[in-house]
Amino acid sequence: MSIRVLNPNAEVLNKSAALHMNINAAKGLQDVLKTNLGPKGTIKMLVGGAGDIKLTKDGNTLLKEMQIQNPTAIMIARTAVAQDDISGDGTTSTVLFIGELMKQSERYIDEGMHPRVLVDGFEIAKRATLQFLEKFKTPVVMGDEPDREILKMVARTTLRTKLYETLADQLTNIIVNAVLCIRKPEESIDLFMVEIMHMRHKFDVDTRLVEGLVLDHGSRHPDMKRRAENCHILTCNVSLEYEKSEINAGFFYSNAEQREAMVAAERRSVDERVQKIIELKNKVCAGNDNNFVVINQKGIDPPSLDLLARAGIIALRRAKRRNMERLVLACGGEAVNSVDDLTPDCLGWAGLVYEHVLGEEKYTFVENVKNPHSCTILIKGPNDHTIAQIKDAVRDGLRSVKNTIEDEAVVLGAGAFEVAARQYLVNEVKKTVAGRAQLGVEAFADALLVVPKTLAENSGLDTQDVIIALTGAHDNGMIVGLNQHTGEPLDPQMEGIFDNYSVKRQIINSGPVIASQLLLVDEVIRAGRNMRKPT
Amino acid sequence: MREIVTIQVGNYANFVGSHFWNFQDELLGLGDTPDSSQVFKDHSLNMDVLYRSGETQQGTLTYTPRLVSVDFQGSLGSMSSRGTLYGEASSGLSDVVTWTGRVTAQASEPLKRNLFLQSLYEEEQANESLNNCLDTGRTETRNEIQATDIIECLENNVKYWTDFAKVHYHPQSLYELNGLWMDIQDFNNYGMGRDAFTGLQHGEEITERLRFFIEECDHIQGLQFITNDAGGFSGVAGEFLENIADDYTNIPVLLYCVRSPDLPVRTKSQRPTVSNSLHDAISFSRLSAFGKLIVPIGLPSLTKSKASRFLSIEDEKPFHSSAVYASAIHSISLPLRMERPSPSVDLINASGAADMSELIQMLAGQARQNMVTTLDVAMPPPSLSGNHFKQSLLENLQPLTPDTGEDIEDLQALETISIHGVLGAGGQESTVSEVNDAVQAAYENAVRRPRFSHLSVSRCPLPIPLPFPSIFGNLVGQRGELLETPIVGPSSRDSLDVHSIPMAARLRSSTAILPFLEKRLHNLRRYGIQQGALGSGLIKDWGFGKDEIEDMGETLSKMVFTLNPYCEESSDTD
Repeated sequence: MSIRVLNPNAEVLNKSAALHMNINAAKGLQDVLKTNLGPKGTIKMLVGGAGDIKLTKDGNTLLKEMQIQNPTAIMIARTAVAQDDISGDGTTSTVLFIGELMKQSERYIDEGMHPRVLVDGFEIAKRATLQFLEKFKTPVVMGDEPDREILKMVARTTLRTKLYETLADQLTNIIVNAVLCIRKPEESIDLFMVEIMHMRHKFDVDTRLVEGLVLDHGSRHPDMKRRAENCHILTCNVSLEYEKSEINAGFFYSNAEQREAMVAAERRSVDERVQKIIELKNKVCAGNDNNFVVINQKGIDPPSLDLLARAGIIALRRAKRRNMERLVLACGGEAVNSVDDLTPDCLGWAGLVYEHVLGEEKYTFVENVKNPHSCTILIKGPNDHTIAQIKDAVRDGLRSVKNTIEDEAVVLGAGAFEVAARQYLVNEVKKTVAGRAQLGVEAFADALLVVPKTLAENSGLDTQDVIIALTGAHDNGMIVGLNQHTGEPLDPQMEGIFDNYSVKRQIINSGPVIASQLLLVDEVIRAGRNMRKPT
Repeated sequence: MREIVTIQVGNYANFVGSHFWNFQDELLGLGDTPDSSQVFKDHSLNMDVLYRSGETQQGTLTYTPRLVSVDFQGSLGSMSSRGTLYGEASSGLSDVVTWTGRVTAQASEPLKRNLFLQSLYEEEQANESLNNCLDTGRTETRNEIQATDIIECLENNVKYWTDFAKVHYHPQSLYELNGLWMDIQDFNNYGMGRDAFTGLQHGEEITERLRFFIEECDHIQGLQFITNDAGGFSGVAGEFLENIADDYTNIPVLLYCVRSPDLPVRTKSQRPTVSNSLHDAISFSRLSAFGKLIVPIGLPSLTKSKASRFLSIEDEKPFHSSAVYASAIHSISLPLRMERPSPSVDLINASGAADMSELIQMLAGQARQNMVTTLDVAMPPPSLSGNHFKQSLLENLQPLTPDTGEDIEDLQALETISIHGVLGAGGQESTVSEVNDAVQAAYENAVRRPRFSHLSVSRCPLPIPLPFPSIFGNLVGQRGELLETPIVGPSSRDSLDVHSIPMAARLRSSTAILPFLEKRLHNLRRYGIQQGALGSGLIKDWGFGKDEIEDMGETLSKMVFTLNPYCEESSDTD
C-alpha cells in the first residue's frame, strides 16, 4: 500500500479484484464483438449523436468507433487492432480468443489455482499449436502463375463474412484480378498500387475493376476535351504556375517598372516550361489524331491552362503523390521532375481518357492501357455508409489475397483448424506435460473452440451438439468444419473455405501473450485523476 | 483573387475558427440584406478568397469555407461531420443493402440542438417553404424574444464549438480522429498527437482532404493554419505541417498557435509541469520549423489582461476567450482579402492590401528574419474625433501573445497594422485617408517608433453576430464607440446591445517576443538536453531521439540569437 503514501488519491484494487476486473473487461469486449463473426453474423449499424450512420461488420472498424474507457479493454483492443495492421484480418477472432482464454482461466483460478501455472501451460500449448499449424496448413505453390482458384476461395471466404453472397462473389473476381494485376515476380506486393476510389452513384453491384486509373479530379479549363482516345500520358511533377520569387529572398523592387519586369520574367519562365510540353505534344501527335494528357503533381495556373488548352492538351493539376507512381505502372513511361529533357520515351499510353461529373465532383478515367501494373477498384453505392462498408470489405479481401500469395499456404476454415488443434492438444500434448501446467494446456485447448462455438451460436445452432459432432469426426481422423446452415460437419476443402495462414499464426501468437499479462496482474493502481478540463 | 485555405487543428482552434467563420458569414449576410449599413455592402473584401462555390449532386449551389478542421471524435456535438448541405435523407435499418443477415442498430442518444441551432434550423425550413409574405412585424417581435433566450442559452451552455456555429461546412471539411480510446484531457502530449496522425491512416485521410481544397485553387496565396499549441493536437499539427511542407513546397503557411487561458486549478505535483514545459518547448520548435510566420496567441489569463480592458471575459469559458482571438485573426487577415484596385484609383473603402507572401516578407523577410511575431489588439480602438486616437491608439494595442516583454526598445521592429471600422466625428466610419493620417500622427507622437510599418485600413467594422458571447463591458456603445460614462445595467453587454465594433490589430516582429522564446529554450535545455534531465524519459516516450532534441535546442537558440545577439552563449557549455 506504499502507493497510498505517495499519492493519497490513488485507488488500489487488490489481487483478486484486479484479476476479476481484467477478466470481466475481456469478457465484456468479447460479448460486443461475438455476434460479428462469420457469414451468419450480425451487421451493426451505429448511429451517432448527430445522426451520422456507420455500418460495420468488421471488428476493427467497430473497435475504432467505440469509445472504450476500461484500461484492460483498451489493451485488448490495441492488440486486436495491431493484428489488423499486421495481417489485415482477424480482429474479431483475436478479441474472442483473448476473452475466451480469460474465461477458461477464471474457472481454474476460482478453484484456487495460481495464474502463474496457467500461464506456463499457455506457453507450452502455444508452441505446440504453432508447430501443429505448420503441419496442418495447406501449402500452395505460387510460381509464375498463381492458382487463381485458391486465391478466389480465400477472398470469397473473407468477403462472405462482410457482404451478402452475390456481391461478395462479384467482388471476389475483382479483388483477385486486382492483386494479380499489380503483382510483380520476386517482389512483395504493394497493395497501395491498387487505388480504391468511390462514387456516390448507382448501386453496390455497379462496383467494378478499372484496369487503369481513376482520378478524383478533372481538368480545370472549359475548352479542354472531356473525352479523348489514343492518349499519350505525361506524368510530371513540375510547377506550372507563376510564383513570387522565393519568400525571404530579401529582394525588393524599388519602382513599378522593376516590379513589372520581375513579374514578366517570372511569367516567362513558366511559359517556357509549358512551351516545352507543347513541343513534345506536337512532336508525338503530328500527322495522327492522337491526344495528349498532362497529369501534374504540382499546380497549373489559368494562363498555363489556357496555353495547354489552345494546344489541344488535356491537363490535370495537383494529382495525388501516390498516383504519380500508379500512373507510371498503369500507363508506362516515367514520372518527370523537369521539362528540360523531355523525350517521347517519358510518355505513357492510354486508349481512353474521359471525365465523369457528379455534381461538383469530377472523376477522370484513364483506361484501356497496355499491360497495366496498377489498377483501380471503383466502388459505387447509393450512400456513404454503404460505400464505407464495401470499402472495408475490399480492403480485407485484398489483404487476404496478398497474404495467400506471400504465405504460400492457406489453412482450412470453418473452424476446422481450431477443432483439430484442440484435439491435438488434449489428446497428445497434454500427456507430455508434467504437473499442473497440464491444466493450462487444457484451458488453452478449450479456448480455441471459441471460434466454432461462436460460429454455431451466430447461426442459431446448439453449440454443445456442434462441438460434439465436430470433435467426434476429428477423432475419427476426418478434418471437418462447421456447416452453418445445417450444423453438420462439412469438408472445408470441398466447400472452398480457407483462411489465411499468417492471420491464424498471428492470433495464436498474440492472444496468449496478452491474456498472460492480464492474468499476472496482481494489483491495479489508478492514480488520482488530474482535474484539468478539456481545452 | 488569390485563395486561402484554412486549417484548424484541435478543439480550441476550432472554437476560434467557429467564431471566425461566424464573422465571415455575418459579413456575407449583411452584404445581402437591403437595410444594412452601406459600410457592410462596400466592404471591398473578396469573400471568394476564403470561400468556395460548389454544387451538390442534386444541383443545389453551395458556398462553403475552404476549410479542413481536425478534432476529437465526438467533438462535433449535434452537427454531422458531413454537414447538412450535401446531406442524404437519414435512413433506417431497412437501408442496409450490403448484408442480408441480421442487423442490429446501436444508436447513441441523439444530441439535442440548442435554442440557437434550433432557430437556425427553423429559419431554414421557413425559407424553404417560401412563405415569408406574412406580416413581418409580428415575426420580428417573436424573434426578438427568442434572441435574448438564445444568448442566455449560449452564455451558459456552450459545450461544443458547433453549438454556436451558424456556418454550413463542406462534407470534406470536418474530420474526427477516432480510435484513440482516451479522454480528451488525457490526449495531452506531443507524442500522442504524433502517433495519432501517423497511425490508423488518419494522416493520409487528412492530407487528402486538404488536397481536395488546394486542387480547386487557381492561384493559392497560402494556408492559414490555426492549431492548439497545448495538448496532443500540436503533435497532430506538427506532423501535418511536415507533410504540407513536403507536398506544397511553395505555399506559405501563416501559423496561429492558440491556447485557452489557464484554469486556476493547477496540479501541484511536479510531473505535469515538467511534461507541460517540455511539451510547450517541443511543440513550439516543431511547429515553427514549418510555418513561414508564427503567431502565438493565448494569454494565461485573458480576464486580467490589459487587452480586455473594455471587455468582461470569463477565462473558464472557451466560448468567451476564443471570440477575442477570432476577432483579432479576422482583423489581421483583412489585407489578405482586400480587392486590389488599379493603381490610379484612390480607394475610399479600403487600402493596404497585401497577400500572404507579401505580409510574410514584410515581417519576416527583412533584416533579422525573425519569424515569430506578437499579436496586439485594441478591441475596440478609440474614436478618431478629438485627440484621443493619436494619443492612445498605440497604448491601447495590447498583446494577446503570452510571455512578451513590456516597454521594449527595439529600433529594428517591423509591424503590420490592420485597422477597420474606426469611428470619426459625428459617429460616422472615418474615411481611409483620415485613418491613415491619424495613424501617422500617432506614430509621430510616439516615443518609440518601429523601423517599418505597413498599414491596412478598411471602413467596414467587425460585425457582431448573434451567437457572439456577452463580453463587452459597459463602456462600449452600440457601434463599438467608447463611452465616457458607463451604461447603467448589467456589467456585460451582448450582441443585441453591440452591433459592430471597430478593431485594430497588429503583428509585430520585435524583441518583445524574446521572453517567450527564451522560456522555451530554457525549458528545453533544463528538462530535455542537460545531463540527467528530468524529462529525458518523456522525450523517449514521445519518440524523439537525443539528436533531434539537440537540433531543436540549436534552432531555438538561433531564433533567440537573431533578436538578441548579446545573449549569453550557453549552448556550448553543456
